Amino acid sequence: MRALLKTLKILFFLCTGLYIILFIVFFFDLDGKALFYGVEPFLSNHYDRMKRKDPLEKIYSTDTPNYEYND
Amino acid sequence: MSEKKSYTRQDVMNKVKSLASDFWNGKPHEERRLGDLYVDKTGLYKHREWRGFKDTMYYFNMIWLYNYGHMISDIMKYGGGLKGPILFARGVWRYRWLGQSYLPVMHWFDRGLEGMRGEGLKASAWHYRAMVSETIRQFMRMLQADQNLGGDPEIWKKTLAHDETVWGGIFYPWRDRMDDVPLQMIPYFVTCHVNNHVVLNYIDAAQSIGLPGDPCPMCQAEAGIFILDDVPDYFPAVVTSNEACDGSVGTSVLQDWMMNKPLFAMPQPMQFDDPLVQEHCAREIEECWKFIEEQTGEKFNCEELVKHLERQNELQRFEWEKWEVAANTDYYPINGVSQALYRIYQSQDGDRDIWHETDARVKKILEKCVENKINSYPLTRHRVIAWSCAPLYYSHWCTWAYNCWGLNCIINMDSLMFDMTIRTDSYENMLQDMALYHEWAPMRRMAVGGMHHIFELWEYMERFHCDMVMMYDQLQCKGMQGVHGLFEDEFRARNIHAIWMPHALPDKRTVSRSEIRSIVNDYMTTIMHEEPLDPTLLEFDDSEGW
Repeated sequence: MRALLKTLKILFFLCTGLYIILFIVFFFDLDGKALFYGVEPFLSNHYDRMKRKDPLEKIYSTDTPNYEYND
Repeated sequence: MSEKKSYTRQDVMNKVKSLASDFWNGKPHEERRLGDLYVDKTGLYKHREWRGFKDTMYYFNMIWLYNYGHMISDIMKYGGGLKGPILFARGVWRYRWLGQSYLPVMHWFDRGLEGMRGEGLKASAWHYRAMVSETIRQFMRMLQADQNLGGDPEIWKKTLAHDETVWGGIFYPWRDRMDDVPLQMIPYFVTCHVNNHVVLNYIDAAQSIGLPGDPCPMCQAEAGIFILDDVPDYFPAVVTSNEACDGSVGTSVLQDWMMNKPLFAMPQPMQFDDPLVQEHCAREIEECWKFIEEQTGEKFNCEELVKHLERQNELQRFEWEKWEVAANTDYYPINGVSQALYRIYQSQDGDRDIWHETDARVKKILEKCVENKINSYPLTRHRVIAWSCAPLYYSHWCTWAYNCWGLNCIINMDSLMFDMTIRTDSYENMLQDMALYHEWAPMRRMAVGGMHHIFELWEYMERFHCDMVMMYDQLQCKGMQGVHGLFEDEFRARNIHAIWMPHALPDKRTVSRSEIRSIVNDYMTTIMHEEPLDPTLLEFDDSEGW
């Protein structure tokens, strides 16, 4: 019983602590700042460096079936 | 000496009372100084606004935490459980539009909901939540089927793609077995609102292969996504349209080239009032259904179609209730940007569970506001109707305009496009109404649908009791540029206050947000001779912001 109470107490303090930390992140817009100064530039660099297919190499053809429904 | 001491004590008491009131209720509108909260250039906040204890805690718990939580749970819900987050991470790594626009979603909420309190804050936030959830549903379906990421070929076979301006209702007959996901709704439309940096890559890509820079930037961007090979391969066949104009036809040609898949072109007629055109359009819908049957081997299910149309009619009936409250009372709780984005998204997307869930929540708030006479915008000086197509990178201008000037955007053109329910009493009536709905597409119903349709503005101004027009001026839309002078004449003749808001749809480089604010500021000071409610919002630099 005592062990359960102790666990609940620890859980309560952990949850309260987490809640307070999240509120600080929210209030000071720390999520926005991390994304703006860290994540977005990193991802943007990654996308800029990605190898992509050259669309102009694809031949433009109209040999696919003729979809006409005039019956 | 004792007098001085007593004065100081009183002063301290007043200060304490004022601080306590600010803590509990938030500052009164005119004392908020929202512009002081911004970090220069970035649009970030030094700290988020303290809206009073109740509203700040609501924002933190029910908007910020709730939505971050649901952004994860929705990925699992629509991505097949625990596989969802892994698939999502792979999608983020592969597609720019996903990675760069998904993550700053909560800032999109912040921009649209700035300064809001009470029921208005709640109702508007639920609209945003619905759009995020539906967006996640769509891109998770794309990723599950995506052959670029080794997606499930069975899901690929059962997913159809269509132009974002083809109404989702066309695919209702197969919703029990298959799904349909618009090609550009998320990669283009949603990203412009959430993070306006992303679309610039696609516009530049279109011009990098030698295409001219003067067509509609929407068409350029939608082509650019394909040119940059940034489209998931999630579908065996596609339905395109000519919407909004011939620029879009050009986009479809490029897309056809790069997709190289069976394609059914279903153009919406420009002059849709002609009864012969109605017949033609109804027949084209039937042809499209045949195309889908042929491509997928799945038969048309009329019962499924009727079921979804009736559910869609429910959504429309609630929208009419909302319009009624917005038009005739001061108790409409939904702000301009939430009204505009939710309505265009929902009416184009068609029947989905999330819209019904959201409408049920908003209905309760709406009824509470009307019964208790709650005015969510008490400092409204002008009731504004916004007309023509909005700047996607600054759709939240209405939030700024209310906070700064008391301009309350009651309704906008795109909300009013689909002003109809669809009859389901007979196949013929249903088909005729579906054709009309299909024709009344975004940017078509009013903007390029004929002179008397674009001039429906005057009727709607009266119906919604608006005394001012925010007239969007899409600089690269040749159709709307053609009627610019006619509108000027009408505004003068009718003695209507109208502010022209120039923009280039998704491209913030042509007319920046700051320039837009400056135009509104000039009008409000020089023509209206009014003072700002919050002077810190007059000028600020958010040029690098999302």
